[in-house]
Amino acid sequence: MMGKFFGFLQQKSSILKWLFFIFLAGTVCFDFFVPRHGHGHFFGDSIIGFWGFFGLIGCLVMIIFCKGIAHSFLMKDVDYYWEDEDEGIVR
Amino acid sequence: MTQVSFLMHPASVFFIAAFFMPWLKKNNFMKPALVLVPVIAIFQINFLPQEFGNVNYLGLDLIFGRVDKLTYVFLNVFTLMSLIAGIYSSYVDEWEQHTAALLYAGSSLGVTLAGDYLTLFVFWELMAFSSVFLIWYRKKRRSHKAGLRYLIVHATGGLILLAGILIRHSEVGNFLFTPIAPETATFGDYLIMIGFMLNAAVPPIHAWLADAYPEASVIGAVYMCAYTTKTAVYVLARGFAGFEALVILGAVMTLYGVFYAVIENDARRILAYHIVSQVGYMVCAVGIGTAMAINGACAHAYAHILYKALLFMGVGSVLEMTGKSKLSELGGLYSRMPISLILTVIGGIAISGFPLTSGFISKSMIITAAGDDHRIFIMLMLLLASVGTFLSVGIKLPYFIWFHKEKPSVPDAKEAHLPMIGGMSIAAFFCIMMGFYPDFLYNMLPFEVTYHPYTMYHLSETLQIIGFTGLGFYLMRKKLVPEDKLNLDIDWIYRKAANPFKKFCGGPLSKLNDIAGEVYRTVGTRSAIMFAKAMSWFDWNGIDYVIDGSAKETLNLGDRVRMLTTGKIQHYIGAAVIVLFAVLIIIVLV
Repeated sequence: MMGKFFGFLQQKSSILKWLFFIFLAGTVCFDFFVPRHGHGHFFGDSIIGFWGFFGLIGCLVMIIFCKGIAHSFLMKDVDYYWEDEDEGIVR
Repeated sequence: MTQVSFLMHPASVFFIAAFFMPWLKKNNFMKPALVLVPVIAIFQINFLPQEFGNVNYLGLDLIFGRVDKLTYVFLNVFTLMSLIAGIYSSYVDEWEQHTAALLYAGSSLGVTLAGDYLTLFVFWELMAFSSVFLIWYRKKRRSHKAGLRYLIVHATGGLILLAGILIRHSEVGNFLFTPIAPETATFGDYLIMIGFMLNAAVPPIHAWLADAYPEASVIGAVYMCAYTTKTAVYVLARGFAGFEALVILGAVMTLYGVFYAVIENDARRILAYHIVSQVGYMVCAVGIGTAMAINGACAHAYAHILYKALLFMGVGSVLEMTGKSKLSELGGLYSRMPISLILTVIGGIAISGFPLTSGFISKSMIITAAGDDHRIFIMLMLLLASVGTFLSVGIKLPYFIWFHKEKPSVPDAKEAHLPMIGGMSIAAFFCIMMGFYPDFLYNMLPFEVTYHPYTMYHLSETLQIIGFTGLGFYLMRKKLVPEDKLNLDIDWIYRKAANPFKKFCGGPLSKLNDIAGEVYRTVGTRSAIMFAKAMSWFDWNGIDYVIDGSAKETLNLGDRVRMLTTGKIQHYIGAAVIVLFAVLIIIVLV
């Protein structure tokens, strides 16, 4: 039953997508009404929508940075450390 | 220590159950015991006196029990976790795994309660030696080797810790485990700190974690993700609060862990790297050292143990039911394992700090503590790590296991076993409950809590970060498709770069050893044998005949001992653990 429900959600993914975008707009709108006194640690605290910007840019930069590093030198074939009997079972 | 105070120690019920596990299994009482033992301990920790189990052994003052609020939080979550893991793992019929798990969980209680460094060290080593069996019981060649590497790294860390403890003893004249002020710390104290940091998986000595945990057995990983790193956080919080190095290393850890979690392919390796990230928050908070930061470290440890275990249980049940844990081989399982999906996603949103989950009320304490201490750059690093957390564990992990593909990658996959779902449900309940009722956690913390997580500002900040990270994933989801590759880490040094050294040991050095052995055999042994032959004839036919034939008996005994020595290192270490355990019992009983 639950499996069917998730299947239904996947079929309706375009509606979910729009709901998600509305939610994003909602978070920024909500930021207009948030009292900001007492949060003087950092300049970003006083900019409306700053953390949304931070999240998006942080996420994109992180993906590009990590995938870039991985592809340039971290990534090796799965059998890089391979030795003869590695796939065996003990006992 | 009298028998009564021996039984007062919460670890003792774990040890006793571990010792009698084969007998319990024979009498069909193994599975009830896995629930009963933690339940006893959960009650027991509420009635502990402030100090108990003071033993004077060989002129050394050992303190087996020292209880205050800092100890209590960790005792509470360790025992709760052993209950959850006990229920989850009760589908496993092998008693050996349960023995190792109970020894491991019990030793972590021993570390937490230890009031002096010697007691701490004994339990510390027992943790390493019992947990390695949880890796080996995966029974794959790979896990066998990963377990050996794990053991070698932890033995090295243990030696560094011991060296530090002995140097400290020569300086201060006692073994008491008390807070060390950063201004007065000496070389020995820093060695102790390095020993602790190795177990907390602080880079560059973190690679053992991501190397070993993904190779552990399904239930082994569930236990291991909870205890080793969090006892390390506890001992750091107890001994090394306020050390600036921990602030920087902790913040680096948070990012280091998520970077690898973003690119990794194996689900359990993603979670393992993510432990590094999450423990980074706690290490950073310990380094900041203010009352709020220490509260944050404890709160985060508590919350983290539960949701990380929940995630390991969710992914573990996928591994158990499909035999696969690589994201590239999974996908589309939503129709086959929907309950596991829901429970794992609860862990995922809790770890990402969604409002009304435990992550929201714990992680924000540490970030606020960093802000209050005017460490803006550290605070931004921690926030960036929480972006990566939601990206890698909150979305990527469930998406590529349960969705991504139209058809299930493993068509005959079944929903997880009932005990597994039971364990996961309890963990999920606590993740949500603490979000609704933060005081459950806040009342346990070592310092009084004045912090309120549910402010408008904090809600807005969190919803934006999470929402727009989701947007980032949506835009880049094609780029993020996991690749069936291996990512190098620091363990490359001892797995690959050390090969010439290993070759030297295996080649020229062992040849030299052989030659020396041969010379000894031909020259030394031959003459000794001839002498012994003459003597033994006299002994056998002369003396022994007269007395009672004891030489023959000794010979028979030797045969039996020879059968015990199988040449398998697992057996030797197992025997050593049992002997250590027996010695421990004798010491505390007498």
